[in-house]
Amino acid sequence: MKRRSFVTSALTVAFLGGNARVALAQVAGAAPPLPGFGAADPENVLVVVQMSGGNDGLNTIVPYSDDAYHRVRPAIGIPATAVLKLNDRIGFNPALKGLNALYAQGKLAIVQGVGYPNPNRSHFEATQIWETAAPDRPQQYGWLGRYLDHRYPVGAKPPSLFEAVSLGDMLPAALVASHVEVPAIGALGAFGYNAGRDLAEKQSAGVLYDGARAGQSPYLAMIASTARDAYHGGDVLRSETAAFTNKATYPKDGFSQQLALAARMIGSSAGSKIVFVSIGSFDTHAGQRAQQDRLLGYLGDGLLAFYADLAAHGLDRKVMTMTFSEFGRRVTQNASNGTDHGTAMPLFVIGGGVKGGIYGSHPSLTDLDSGDLKYAIDFRSIYATVIEKWLGRDPAPILGGAYPSVAFV
Amino acid sequence: MVPKIDTSTDPQVGYRPAGTLDADALQPYTGAFGVRHAAHLLRRAGFGGSPDDIARFASVSMESAVAALLHPSTPDVPLTDFPGQSALFDPKRSRATAQLWWLDRMLRTNRPLVEKMTLFWHGHFATSIQKVPVQYMVGQIDLFRNQGLGRFPALLGAVTRDPAMLIWLDNRYNAKAHPNENYAREVMELFALGLGNYTEDDVKEAARALTGWTLDRNGAALFVPARHDDGIKTVLGRTGNFGADDIVATIVSQPVHQRFIAHKLLEFFVYSDPEPELIEQAARVYALSGFDVAKTVGAILRSNVFYSSRAYRALPKSPIELAIGTLRCLGVAAIPPNLPYQLARMGQEPLNPPSVKGWDGGPTWINTSTLLARFNFVNGLVAQTAPGKNGQPAVSAPNADPDALVGRVGMDPVKVAAALVSGVVQDDVTSAVRATLIAYLENTTPSVSVQSPLPFGPENYQEKIRGALALTLNLPVNQLA
Repeated sequence: MKRRSFVTSALTVAFLGGNARVALAQVAGAAPPLPGFGAADPENVLVVVQMSGGNDGLNTIVPYSDDAYHRVRPAIGIPATAVLKLNDRIGFNPALKGLNALYAQGKLAIVQGVGYPNPNRSHFEATQIWETAAPDRPQQYGWLGRYLDHRYPVGAKPPSLFEAVSLGDMLPAALVASHVEVPAIGALGAFGYNAGRDLAEKQSAGVLYDGARAGQSPYLAMIASTARDAYHGGDVLRSETAAFTNKATYPKDGFSQQLALAARMIGSSAGSKIVFVSIGSFDTHAGQRAQQDRLLGYLGDGLLAFYADLAAHGLDRKVMTMTFSEFGRRVTQNASNGTDHGTAMPLFVIGGGVKGGIYGSHPSLTDLDSGDLKYAIDFRSIYATVIEKWLGRDPAPILGGAYPSVAFV
Repeated sequence: MVPKIDTSTDPQVGYRPAGTLDADALQPYTGAFGVRHAAHLLRRAGFGGSPDDIARFASVSMESAVAALLHPSTPDVPLTDFPGQSALFDPKRSRATAQLWWLDRMLRTNRPLVEKMTLFWHGHFATSIQKVPVQYMVGQIDLFRNQGLGRFPALLGAVTRDPAMLIWLDNRYNAKAHPNENYAREVMELFALGLGNYTEDDVKEAARALTGWTLDRNGAALFVPARHDDGIKTVLGRTGNFGADDIVATIVSQPVHQRFIAHKLLEFFVYSDPEPELIEQAARVYALSGFDVAKTVGAILRSNVFYSSRAYRALPKSPIELAIGTLRCLGVAAIPPNLPYQLARMGQEPLNPPSVKGWDGGPTWINTSTLLARFNFVNGLVAQTAPGKNGQPAVSAPNADPDALVGRVGMDPVKVAAALVSGVVQDDVTSAVRATLIAYLENTTPSVSVQSPLPFGPENYQEKIRGALALTLNLPVNQLA
């Protein structure tokens, strides 16, 4: 019960921002969230999808009825007849059949016009900004890393080594934590002590690590204990995920296959709660339509299969997926039938616990900031909503401030 | 009296906890100087070495060993000669060529301390190829190589005008009409003073003094007087019509700067939590030397505390130290082509630090993923393959020849195990570790059931010595510098 009362008071804060904290705490106390149905719960799962390279928002959620759109994109604009219409103004890129289906199921929220003040157009810096939730000053730890550090203070180990994972070779900045460990798993088979066919070497390594003495040197003790975790981690991962069967057919592309692995990590006793996957490159400076449409097809079809799989395992209400990209792209097409680095863009939040719909309004194509879209929703509002209403923690100390939440949970 | 390195077979026995610093910690060490001391010196002031390298250093006095590192008398290997591609090789061609060029220097140089200081300054002035084009990154590494052991104020002045830094921290856009505070802030926070030792006003005023620097058409640093704010500024208590040189001079004249640099050098060379008194002592050495990096580092490398048991095997190796140290130990002649990728998996891709703060280092190098990446780097190297990306097929790697370590001892498993633990970790193992290696060589590991086990002999010699070598290189103690 303690946790529930914390969750309730935390809910109030993000709804109204810092000042109203005291006044409204009493009102909200009356309505505890429903467990398991989109309510904040630290056992909920968050999947973060990075669309790397800077995804063009205008050709993702297309303002097809806006003449200005077709004027600035004579070659790469998507005709009204082709879009998958959401309403009489906007529609999906035709490659997003999968997301259109999830939208029809009420599982997809579209948050429009997301950005932040003084946007950065460098891939590296903008990615750092999104992943550390720190536009003004470099931050050492990622926003998910800081969430994990708060949830598991020093000394409180997560229940699973795979509590948070990056499904890729490298750890993204978002998952860099001060003391919670986050493995990067490029492929199931690649994670583990690889002695080739020399079984005796592999087992001897186990003998050496299991028998390593703690000693007085703190680093030697830490390394020996990490070596044991690392050595056994691969076998544990394979045995724990072996019992799980994917119950949907995933497309063959690498991103969809990462989602199939994500389902295994979440649905098996590996028990992953935070999963980071990546798809790219959306850096479409030239020949945009072919490249972006192909990737959006992977994105939508992969996520449709992922949620079919999760639903078949009774997990679709426990798993929320959110997308992000380091920036949107310029409003006007360039001379190579592509677009250059821009600013605001839409992002997607998906899941059985998500209130499907359209949040925020489509940015104006005529009221621009030096040729770029103006943002309306700060990306930290999305993070605050997810941390508070989905994962059940106070986002203020994690994000370094209060941000109004968005109503998709 | 500083306790000397314990020379029993268990390196943990002599470990001394923090907080008991001796008064003569930075006085020259006068005790014995043997193989362990020489290996320790080479790991910290370089990238380790083969048993022969270590023996050569152990055969001279500590003073001579340190002097050879600080003042190398032999010319270095030619810079343009990259194994296998000497004529075509241009480090400025791509990210990969620049990384391989520098890693190759670390592997083959006979001036390891120069490359080690270059790596130190790369982490200190952490500039990334993610934002800075490759030719400027190479230029900055050369700057660290040429000036990294000189006087710090000169180095900081050069870094302030370095094109890579002008790009990295945006000072090329810093002009009177539109000041940019990025470099002004980091030069105080990260490069010379530390957080809390300056005010926001100091940042704003220093930014004004740093206006005017930009890049010319050829990418060289250029001072444009019209872009410079030549009004009166007040920075850190001093007032005047300051420019970049005045800012450097003002910053390094802050007493806290001496402790800031002393602390960073001690963390890098000695141990990760130096006592305040030790920092004070090193700061005094640094100040008395006239901010001379070589003299300060030299004093550290000759000191009692450097050869104390508290410092011995007290720092987790960085991935670059581990990788280059392994290649040097095994006498590998060339850098494996995918080493930059493998270093990224271990958490330290050269020329690509994670942020302007550089790598955290110390215990943060070690987690399950990065440790597996280290183990599998070694496993692949010893098996002459290197893992592909995302579980892709392995690629071939340069030959690591274990015969160099064990070729002289024949087919005796006890002697092979002894040669390995001596050559790789200078006997810093327990008897249980030796027993496990011998059991592996003899195919008698208790938990392993092998059909018709072969005795150690010519039929399985290559496989077994490679396996035992990988096991030794992957010992927890070998992760410590």
